[in-house]
Amino acid sequence: MKKIKFQDRYDVRHYAFVVLIISLLASAWGIMAYKLYVLDYPLAGLIPATSYQVDVNIDTTGHGDDISIQTYLPRSDSRQHISAEGNSSGRFNISIENDELNRIAHWNTENSQGLQNIRYSYSVEAKHIRYAIPSDMAIPHSYPEDIQPYLAETAGIQVNDPDIEEALQKLFPDGPLTILNAVTTIHRHLQDNFANKNFSGFTDAITALKLGEASCNGKSRLFAAFARKLGIPARLVGGLIMKSGNKRTSHQWVEIYIAGHWVPFDTINDHFADIPANFLTLYYGDLSLFKRTSNVNFNYSFNMIKRLVPQRDALDSLDQSGFNIFNLYSVFEQVGISQNLLKIILMIPLGALVVVIFRNVIGLETFGTFLPALIAAAARETGLLWGLIGFVLIILISSSVRKVLDWMQLLHSPKMAIMLSTVVIVMMSVTVLSVHFNMFELAHVTLFPIAVLAITAERFSIIELEQGSLKAFKITFTTLIVISACYIVMDSLFLQSMILAFPEMLLVIIALNLWLGKWIGMRVTEFFRFRKLIFAKG
Amino acid sequence: MLAKLITRLKMIRARTANVLTMNKRNLNYIYPSNLRPDFPCADNKLLTKKMLEDCDVTVPNTLLSYSSFYELSTLADDLACHNDFVIKPASGSGGGGILVFVNKEAEHWITPGGKRFTLADIKKHITDIIFGVYSFGLSDDAIIEQRITQHPEITRLSPYGLADVRLIVYQHQPIMCMARIPTLASDGKANLHQGAIGLGIDIKSGVSQHAILIDSDISHHPDTNEALINQQIPHWDRVIEMSSIAARKAPLKYLGIDISISDSGPVLLEINVRPGLQIQNANQKGMRDILEVTRLKGEQQ
Repeated sequence: MKKIKFQDRYDVRHYAFVVLIISLLASAWGIMAYKLYVLDYPLAGLIPATSYQVDVNIDTTGHGDDISIQTYLPRSDSRQHISAEGNSSGRFNISIENDELNRIAHWNTENSQGLQNIRYSYSVEAKHIRYAIPSDMAIPHSYPEDIQPYLAETAGIQVNDPDIEEALQKLFPDGPLTILNAVTTIHRHLQDNFANKNFSGFTDAITALKLGEASCNGKSRLFAAFARKLGIPARLVGGLIMKSGNKRTSHQWVEIYIAGHWVPFDTINDHFADIPANFLTLYYGDLSLFKRTSNVNFNYSFNMIKRLVPQRDALDSLDQSGFNIFNLYSVFEQVGISQNLLKIILMIPLGALVVVIFRNVIGLETFGTFLPALIAAAARETGLLWGLIGFVLIILISSSVRKVLDWMQLLHSPKMAIMLSTVVIVMMSVTVLSVHFNMFELAHVTLFPIAVLAITAERFSIIELEQGSLKAFKITFTTLIVISACYIVMDSLFLQSMILAFPEMLLVIIALNLWLGKWIGMRVTEFFRFRKLIFAKG
Repeated sequence: MLAKLITRLKMIRARTANVLTMNKRNLNYIYPSNLRPDFPCADNKLLTKKMLEDCDVTVPNTLLSYSSFYELSTLADDLACHNDFVIKPASGSGGGGILVFVNKEAEHWITPGGKRFTLADIKKHITDIIFGVYSFGLSDDAIIEQRITQHPEITRLSPYGLADVRLIVYQHQPIMCMARIPTLASDGKANLHQGAIGLGIDIKSGVSQHAILIDSDISHHPDTNEALINQQIPHWDRVIEMSSIAARKAPLKYLGIDISISDSGPVLLEINVRPGLQIQNANQKGMRDILEVTRLKGEQQ
C-alpha cells in the first residue's frame, strides 16, 4: 500500500513545486482558452504577414537643361495596401497627379547639371487572390458604356487584324462555348505554345503571334487582342514582381472583365485567374512605366526588402474586442510608454529563458545572467550584426580604459564610476562616428543598457587578468552566441504577436523556469568535460 | 554486433548517471546539505579559523588582519619584524589576491618568483582586498599569515608553489580526493583551470593514482619531469583525521576541504561550500555512487 509521506521539508517542497507548476500552466491556458473561445480572438491573425519595402531609384545626369521624369506609383486597393511613402529627390520637385485609374508622379527640375538622384520608397502588403469563374457563363452580348473602350483596337492590340481572326478560327473551330472555355483556351495556348522571351522592348500583338514567342508585354497584348475579338473586355496591367534584391525588370499581365470583375491572367508565369501576393500593381493600361525628357542620361532600379509585419486586420480586430492587451496598452500609453517598448519589456522574460537554457542545459558561460537578453532587446534598433559589433567595441574599449585605471591604482568604487562614464563616452563616439560614415544602424548603440555594460567591461578585464585573455575572449564569444540566440527568439514576429495578445504566456515561462530549476540532467558541455569518464573503453 | 552496441550504450548511460554534474551537485547535494546562513564560516577564512580554534585541527597562524582603511597607518610597524608571510583576502576564491613573501632585502619584500614589493605596493594590495576587488565587490578583510613551508616530499613533487590536498567530504565521510600541484603555467597557483596539475589520490592509502593537466592525462610533471603516479602523500592518516574533525565541526554537510602538508604536518587552509567537479576527472571516475551510498547510510541511522 502506498502512502504519501511528508518525511521532511524536501518532500513538502516537492509537492509545493508540482502544485505551483500545475496551477501556473492551468491559469495561463485557462485565460488563453477564455480569450479564444469566449471572446473569440482571431488566432489566425497572429501569424505575421509579408511586407516589402520598395525603393525606386532613379539616376539622372543632366547637361544644363530642364528635366522632367514621370512614373506610376501604386495605389492602395482591396488587394494591396501601400504605406510609409517617402520621397527624397534633391533638386527635383515632385508633384503627384491622380487620374481615374492611376497615380502619376512627376519630378521636375531646371538647369540640371551633373548626377542627380531620386529615391521614392513605399511599403507594400498584398494578398494572394484566386478567382473562380462560373463554368456555364456565356459571353455577354453587351457591356456598360464605361467598359466599351476595353473592346476597341489600339496601336499595340490589333483586334481587327485578319491574322487574329484566323488564329481564333483554329483555336475555336466551333466558336467559344463559354467565357471559361474562351479564357482557358487562350491562356493555355499562350502559356504552352508561346516561348517566354526576355525582350525588353515593345512587342505588339501581331508580332508576338507571328514570332510564336514573346515577353510579358507581347503575350499580354496578344491575350487582350484575342479576348477583345471574342467580345470579352481586356486591359493591360503594369507592375512589379516583388522579391528581395535589386532589379530593373518590371512586369505586365492582363485583366479580363468577367461578371463585373477584372480577373488577372499571367501567361509568363502561368497564373490563371490568380494573382500572387508578391505581385504589385503599378498602373492600368497599355502604358510605359517611365517617361522622361530626352535631354538626360537616365537609369533606374527597384530595390526591395522583404519583411514580416503584424497583420493589420488582426491588430484592428484585437483592438475592438474587450479584454486584451491593447486595452492594457492604453493604460501604458497614458503614462507615455509606447506599445513598442511594452513589447520589448514583455519579450525580455522570454530572452531570459533562452539564456537559462544556454547556461543550464547547454552549459555555456556568459557575462552576467541576463546581459545577453538585455543586449538582444537593445539590438532591435541596430540589427543583430551591428548590435554584436557595437557590444564588442564597447567592451573592448572600456576594458582597455580599465587597464589604465588599474595602473593608476584607484579605489574600486570611483573606478567603476569612471568605467560607467567611459561606456557613455564610447557609446556617444560610436554614434557620432557611425552617423558620419552613414552606418545608421550602428548609431543606435546608445540604447544599450549602460550600467550592465560597465559591469561587463569590469568582469571582462578581471577575467582577463586572473584567467588570461584567452578565457576572457572565450566567454565573450559564447556571450555573442547567446545574444544571437536571444535576438532570434525575441525578434520572432510570431512570438511577439503571441505575447502581446496573450501576456499570460509569462506564467508559462515561469513554469518552464521552475521546471528547469529542478532539472538535474547533464549539460551538453559536460559530456565533453567528462568524456573520458563516460566514453572510455573497458 | 547489435548486442555489443546495446551493452556499450548501457555502460555509457550508467557512467553518465555516475558523474556528478553541476546541476546535480547544486540541487541534490549543496542546497539540501548546506544552508545559506552557514556559508560564511567557509567563505571567510577568518571565521573558518575561529570555528576550528578549539579542535585538534592545525590552521596557519594569523599574524595580522585588517578590516578597514585606517588600520593601515600602522602597517610599516606591523610588518617590521616579518619577512616571511602570506597576504590573503579572507573571502577570496580560486587563489585570487594571494601574495607570498619569502624574504626581505633593505626596503623590499621579495616573492618566491623574485618580484620586489615596497611598503606602498603592499599597502595598495591590502586596500584592494579591503575594498573587495577579490571578493565580487563586497568589502573584505585582509589576512596576513605565517607562510607554510612544504614537506620535502611535497616540494619534490611541487617545486613551483604551495600544493594542497582537496577532499570532498559528504556527511562527515571523505568521498574523493586529489592533490593540486602548481606549475609554471599556473603561476604558482593551485588552480586547475589555470594549469595546475590535478593528482587523483586513493582515499584509503593516500597514494596517487592518476594525473591530469587541463584536459589531458599525464604521468610526469610537465616542468620537472618528476614521476607523479604511485606517490605516497606524507601524514595521510592525519590528513583524513583532520578533515573529518573539521567536517564534524562545520555546520555544512557537503564541502571541500583544502589541506597542505607542511614540514611539521598537515595544515588546513580553507573550506569550500561549492567544491568543483574536476576532481572526478583527476580520479578517472564519477563520484555519484559513493555519495548515494553515504546518503542512504545516513538516512538509515
